[in-house]
Amino acid sequence: MGQGSLQPSASVDDGDRVTRGHVIISFLIKRLGFAAFTLFAVLTLVFLIVRILPGDPALVILGDQASPESIAALHHRLGLDQPILTQYGQFLWNALRGDLGNSMITGRSISVEIMSVLPYTIELTIASLLLGVLLGVPAGVWAAVKRNQIPDIALRLVSLIGLSLPAFVAAIILLMIFAIYLRWFPVISAGGGTDIIDRLRQMALPTLSLALIMMAYITRVTRSAMLEVLNQDFVRTARAKGASQYATIWRHALGNSLIPITTVVGLYLGILIGNSVLTEIVFSRPGLGKLILTALTQRDYTLLQGMIVIYTLMVVVVNLLTDLTYGFLDPRVQYK
Amino acid sequence: MTDALSPTAERAASSKSAWAVLHRLNMTTWFGVAIVAALILAAILAPLLATHDPDAQNIIMYLSPPGPDNILGTDQFGRDIFSRLLFGARYSLTIGFLAIVVALIIGSLIGMVAGYAGGRTDIILMQIMDVVLAFPSLILGLALVALMGATLTNIVIAIAFTAIPAFARIARAGVMTQRDREYVQACHAMGFSNPRILFRHILPSILPEIMVMASLWMATAVRTEASLAFIGLGLAPPTPTWGGMVREGFDNILSSFHLALFPSLAILLLVLALNLIGDGLRDAIDPRLKDAS
Repeated sequence: MGQGSLQPSASVDDGDRVTRGHVIISFLIKRLGFAAFTLFAVLTLVFLIVRILPGDPALVILGDQASPESIAALHHRLGLDQPILTQYGQFLWNALRGDLGNSMITGRSISVEIMSVLPYTIELTIASLLLGVLLGVPAGVWAAVKRNQIPDIALRLVSLIGLSLPAFVAAIILLMIFAIYLRWFPVISAGGGTDIIDRLRQMALPTLSLALIMMAYITRVTRSAMLEVLNQDFVRTARAKGASQYATIWRHALGNSLIPITTVVGLYLGILIGNSVLTEIVFSRPGLGKLILTALTQRDYTLLQGMIVIYTLMVVVVNLLTDLTYGFLDPRVQYK
Repeated sequence: MTDALSPTAERAASSKSAWAVLHRLNMTTWFGVAIVAALILAAILAPLLATHDPDAQNIIMYLSPPGPDNILGTDQFGRDIFSRLLFGARYSLTIGFLAIVVALIIGSLIGMVAGYAGGRTDIILMQIMDVVLAFPSLILGLALVALMGATLTNIVIAIAFTAIPAFARIARAGVMTQRDREYVQACHAMGFSNPRILFRHILPSILPEIMVMASLWMATAVRTEASLAFIGLGLAPPTPTWGGMVREGFDNILSSFHLALFPSLAILLLVLALNLIGDGLRDAIDPRLKDAS
């Protein structure tokens, strides 16, 4: 959007630029502060909940028959014999260094476990996001331009269905049609794949199932933002000065609808990350979803605790990036 | 707040009366109302409508496709899917409804206090809400249910918890537009207590927005409950929850896809109908937003 900027603020003198720089930096510090505060609050909450839980982790690991000596030894090894504040400090310090402790069940490092599957989830999320935007933005523009005509009504219905679909239902329906009935894609997308074609074939259905939901949200917000913008004076001016229909809609109007669209993309990216759990389970795809399911079925509380921290971290980062994007899309945005 | 006197604002206020809103609901909204009403009725009358005992196993008839005996077929234990769906509607509707009632009461209370008090109270309360909002609701619900145990109460609490910030935000925004209006100043002048002003005078004028939020979030609550049940964090088997039925059916998806298909469609139908109602109510309460939805 950089050089295609339509704002009348072409002449920014140096004084303004300096003030703006200051404003952006103080805004950044505020947002970073909030992000840090959120993570700190989540870590504290997670620490407390796991300790409040009934049941001794040592008993979960060793079983009911364990001798008092072995339980005490395990307590010592897990640091559970330390005062609670020491444990809390140790937990925070370790988390800060990226060490989320070890799995209660397998004893493996949680950070290592998470890092080994995280790329699969990130790959799926980004692919779904891109596909959702590529489908959703044109669909929303089309619906707005054809307001109350057949394309608009059809797209409104489709997006309403899309945002009513739980992610696992969308995934299962796609799986039934394209993998089981038509046999176009594999039922299980193991994530590996020998070559790029194989890999893409395995990713297609999981990506599509999440992208359809993302598209539904994006279509809706694009349509409403476009409708608002299309009635404004500058669009009429653009038309009056002889800009083509194409330029009016795709440059002038859409360019000014990007802020609400970005807000929704950022907001639902968080939901997308949550939904990826369901999609990964349906398609037996490796990723955070499968790991969290393992943690749940094995009652591996330390693993679960680490996963919650990772999910929160991802959402906090997404929110931060969304805030920053505003400034690039619209130089007039006031950072407060 | 000069628009307190403007004719459009007054019309908007009067047009929010329940009767006026009902009149302005469009056809698709009534369609949503009809579906939800039918599902509520089906849930209440489940013992009468069910063709079989939802928990009765019939090993001979296991995994049979839809037919005259079992209109939607049977599952891996030979249980009648149609009857299980009817009883399952009870849990989806009850959990969704209770979660939203809890979230509405707690969230609105937090938002109203924050918006009315302003200052430090506002900052602290809303900062806490923002932290909760930072979680994806499915992950938050999942973590809470996993840690507390999957009982009906805990599932309701977990889903309610994820929806509280939404109600807090909308109630706060509503109170802040009303706080400095003349009628509130008049209440102050007459010496009314703050709780009385907040609940007797301000609440009625922000209630429509809160109710729209409730109908839209009820759709989300039902979806979250189904998703939790699908992950395995629903009510314990053999309780027939729709999400749990999809989960069980998913194991047999290659041979008998109807097991997972019918409960999936039931979830979609209920969530879609709730979204239709929410959208319709929003358009009717604030006609200016009509095209902006």
